[in-house]
Amino acid sequence: MHADLVGLGAVLLLAALVARGARRVGLPSVPCYMLVGILLGPGTPGPVLIEHPDDLSVLAALGLVLLLFHLGVEFPLEQVVGGGRRLFLAAACYIGLNITAGLIFGFSLGWGGAEALVVAGALGISSSAIATKLLIELQRLTNAETPVILGIIVIEDLFLAFYLALLSPVLSGADSPGALAGHIALSFGFLVVLFAVARWGARAVGGLIGSREDELLAVAAIGLAVLVAGLSDEVGVSDAIGALMVGLVVSRTRFRERVERIVLPLRDVLATVFFVAFGLTIDVGDLGGVAVPALIAVAVTVVTNVTAGVLAARLFGFNQRGAANIGLTVLARGEFSLILVTLAIAAGLDARLGPFVALYVLLLAVTAPLLAAGSRYLARVMPDWLLRSDWTYVREETISTSCTHLDQIRVTSTDAAACRGCEELGTDWVQLRLCTTCGHVGCCDDSPHQHSRRHAEEARHPVIQSAEPGEDWRFCFIDDTLVRAPMGRSRDKR
Amino acid sequence: MGQGVHVTELPGVGTRYDVDLTDDENRVSVVVRPGGTRYLYVFATRSAEPTAVLELTDEQARKLAAVLSATFYEG
Repeated sequence: MHADLVGLGAVLLLAALVARGARRVGLPSVPCYMLVGILLGPGTPGPVLIEHPDDLSVLAALGLVLLLFHLGVEFPLEQVVGGGRRLFLAAACYIGLNITAGLIFGFSLGWGGAEALVVAGALGISSSAIATKLLIELQRLTNAETPVILGIIVIEDLFLAFYLALLSPVLSGADSPGALAGHIALSFGFLVVLFAVARWGARAVGGLIGSREDELLAVAAIGLAVLVAGLSDEVGVSDAIGALMVGLVVSRTRFRERVERIVLPLRDVLATVFFVAFGLTIDVGDLGGVAVPALIAVAVTVVTNVTAGVLAARLFGFNQRGAANIGLTVLARGEFSLILVTLAIAAGLDARLGPFVALYVLLLAVTAPLLAAGSRYLARVMPDWLLRSDWTYVREETISTSCTHLDQIRVTSTDAAACRGCEELGTDWVQLRLCTTCGHVGCCDDSPHQHSRRHAEEARHPVIQSAEPGEDWRFCFIDDTLVRAPMGRSRDKR
Repeated sequence: MGQGVHVTELPGVGTRYDVDLTDDENRVSVVVRPGGTRYLYVFATRSAEPTAVLELTDEQARKLAAVLSATFYEG
């Protein structure tokens, strides 16, 4: 057996150097790896470092498994579940809009139904790695909309598991509706089993892979990941889901942080091999034929993302800056689009999918960071009527006030000068508070009966305001925080 | 956390601590990543743009914290 170590080493080193250059100017790294694969592969004139892309197939498969395994391990389940209903609603808007637009676009390409599903996934699921890096680089971690953006992309990762479960039966080439339904049932059954293991079997899994030595833990964890991925491939569910789900299982064990840390460098190297190997299969001559669809796809993605950003901003009561930032930060596509198209090509779908997604990812890789950095220009032209009419943020303020219930402020002044609850009981109060949701006036927390707090708990109205003359501070019971008075002019239509 | 420190989870990034300096203009936020990296956001104006953002390693953050809390100074 002869391994082409020279070619592999040279390609990896070059990929790293190109990506380093791109990172200097703020471009993402994943498309660079793919680009190196395209340029140095057999499909492109010029120097060819790797003659036979198939030589890399085992390493590339490992890269895909580790990519999804690590995603599962680091998945912040608690933070997402604790994110609340509004976050899920925003994510559902985002995913629904993008997948629907992707489906319509996919079908209108006329490449076939299974191809349309792949296109929808490739267009619909954004790259969490690129979006997270963008937020850090653009120094937006403290912005009010940032937790929403991060929540959306994390929910998207979870959605990926379901999408893969839906896609793999379609890709399996079942010809009758009955066989297809059977495959889908099997696929989702497998998901349920792994979810159950994640929920109740984490201890046993921890016992299986656990070790005090990093070396043994790494070998056992990766062995388990590859085994489950392979098994799921055997039963006809894609290896990608198996890897993702076993990652989720491991994330429930007490070895989560260590596995996350020690698998990371291995994942980075092998995932790069995966991206390069995908690039190697692309013939540069094919890119021209898909240029128009790819450009349209980029335009579709930008439009649906901005729309989803506006919807999310309406849900959370953000202003123009928030809406533009949500829409334009979640724009980049990367690893997941490449994973989906790799599965599609392995299943023998239309060969145009490969070059199409490659070009689409490359185009967005350049435009997404630029658009995200320039989101304020979009915010400036965004009309007021798009957003909620009673948002309380002033145009320039996107800094978190730490309170996410500002949208429920409806009443800001009152004539009441007494606490009704205390009057009925015949007791005294110290100060008065106004419920900004319904206008209820009650006594403060220093008063014996704390009628204001009680009202907030019973009616689930979050924010109160001082009803004492000359005071305008507000307090949110749910977030347990003082709400700063909005700066500058506030928009009052009443 | 103590009075005036507000904690927000940033899924996939870490935890954000907004420190209320009870001052209209000055504000400090710290984002702690799971690996120990800290991002220190300093706002010295009312603008939404931070005045300065520092990326600190675990060690650098401890050094700064020691100086700020006056547990470390050279007499």
